[in-house]
Amino acid sequence: MGSKIVVCRCEDVTRADLEHSVARGYRDIEEVKRYTGFGTGPCQGKECLAVVATALAEITGEDPSFIAPFTSRPPLAPTPIKLLARDPAAHRFPDDPAEPVAAASEEET
Amino acid sequence: MEGQTIRAFTSESVAAALVASGERVLSRSLKYHRPRTFFCMEGHCGGCLARIDGVPNLRACQTPCTTGTTIEGQNAYPSPEIDLFGAVDFLFPRGMDHHTLMTGSSILNNLASKVVRQLSGLGKLPATESHELPAVQLERVDVCVIGGGPAGLAAATAAASSGASTLLVDDQLRLGGSLLADPRLGVAVADARVAAAMAAGVRALPRSTAIAFFPEDAPEDGGVLAVATPDHLVRVVARRWVWATGGYAVNLLFADNDRPGVLAARGVGRMLVQHGIAAGERICVVVGKGMDDYANALAEALRGARVDVTTTSADQVERARGRSWVTAVELTSRRRLDCDVVAVAAMPAPASEGPRQQGCRTVLDPARGGFRVIVDRDGRTSTPDVFACGDVCGYVGPMAAATVGARVGGAAAEEALALARELGPIATTAARRGA
Repeated sequence: MGSKIVVCRCEDVTRADLEHSVARGYRDIEEVKRYTGFGTGPCQGKECLAVVATALAEITGEDPSFIAPFTSRPPLAPTPIKLLARDPAAHRFPDDPAEPVAAASEEET
Repeated sequence: MEGQTIRAFTSESVAAALVASGERVLSRSLKYHRPRTFFCMEGHCGGCLARIDGVPNLRACQTPCTTGTTIEGQNAYPSPEIDLFGAVDFLFPRGMDHHTLMTGSSILNNLASKVVRQLSGLGKLPATESHELPAVQLERVDVCVIGGGPAGLAAATAAASSGASTLLVDDQLRLGGSLLADPRLGVAVADARVAAAMAAGVRALPRSTAIAFFPEDAPEDGGVLAVATPDHLVRVVARRWVWATGGYAVNLLFADNDRPGVLAARGVGRMLVQHGIAAGERICVVVGKGMDDYANALAEALRGARVDVTTTSADQVERARGRSWVTAVELTSRRRLDCDVVAVAAMPAPASEGPRQQGCRTVLDPARGGFRVIVDRDGRTSTPDVFACGDVCGYVGPMAAATVGARVGGAAAEEALALARELGPIATTAARRGA
């Protein structure tokens, strides 16, 4: 197996990928995320964000306290989408169907 | 794995049962199809995704065993142990930049895109459609504490003791957090603190994850925290929030650090303390900066369980050896430490993404594990009404987390109760929304 230092296990991002990204001019954590895909897998950065940010500070020589985390977006953990289907907030826009979409298929069965 | 039957206790997770029975590789990674399995044992790393009873991408470490549970690997052909697509890893020993993969010719590029789309993705759709859409519940409380470890239990107990209605949200199969992974504390200590919280009047939502905070949703209530339980969604409105989410187990950087069998030390500790399972027969504990106390306590407890233990500091580790499971750690001195499990004791990374959604300021502090929430002495964050305590504010370990948790829970309750005297009880002050 090819030997790799893995910084993001979900998306198979290696430490070499971070160096490659910085060499191409993508140094900011949001840029590195978009270029390498780190932090976009099932764990959403839980295992990798701090590791990558610390490694980036080493690679770029930047003061760690100037490095901001990437934007934290919902959901914070893998969630079955059916749990959200009947949240009133999901149906508050005028064009939205009043009832969840799956209700139609429920009637057929 | 497929076609075999394993025995398990109904109280334990699928992952714990697999560890105890010697079953191991669960899936393959997205890009290089490297073998994947459990790492953190706490539902956070995404390593142990498997298809369980026909549902894809479930975390084996957070799914309880029941009689007749079927477990299948995913993202591999013909099986996670022997996966033909693992060849990708050999073909790109120095890695693959997918931005420039076969971009020289448009025909080749289209072909490459088609192949990549077939190979990537996680799992296959569920075996059965879901027709039942669960109703959404609403909870209104004075204080909502997120995280049921040492800091959160202490904060919730303190808040409820002073008379605030208190909800405790925790994402694990069992309340106790890092207490259940620390041989110096353990199950008896965790259970006693949970009992004290219940006696004080704390209401707990176990197996429930705070998945998002929506400030624009019910702005008159100051926003809504969406909490996912195993079978429905809860919209939580609270007068004060206390984040006690602790830290995530992370890995250290050495070659092939993703090899199955390289586990988080706290995961190994959790196996031993919570489940009474020795994760291996020969365990190499790799000690990261600032983690000597925990690593030494774990090594001693493992020796007590008749495990052959070696310890080494992280900066001496060159690489992990082994193919589908680790067989040794190779040091920079070229010395080999043979082992069947590597327990990586890296400083946990503050679980600060929830507070970040509430706008709390964080700072990257590598000496404290990562992006820690900035707080004052009473746990006030930069956002009004939002508090934080324990490892989410930078690693302090379970003993100190409990002390600070009690103080912060008390401070949050005091503010919530002052508001209650002014506006009346939380449950009746605003129009009920939700399902």
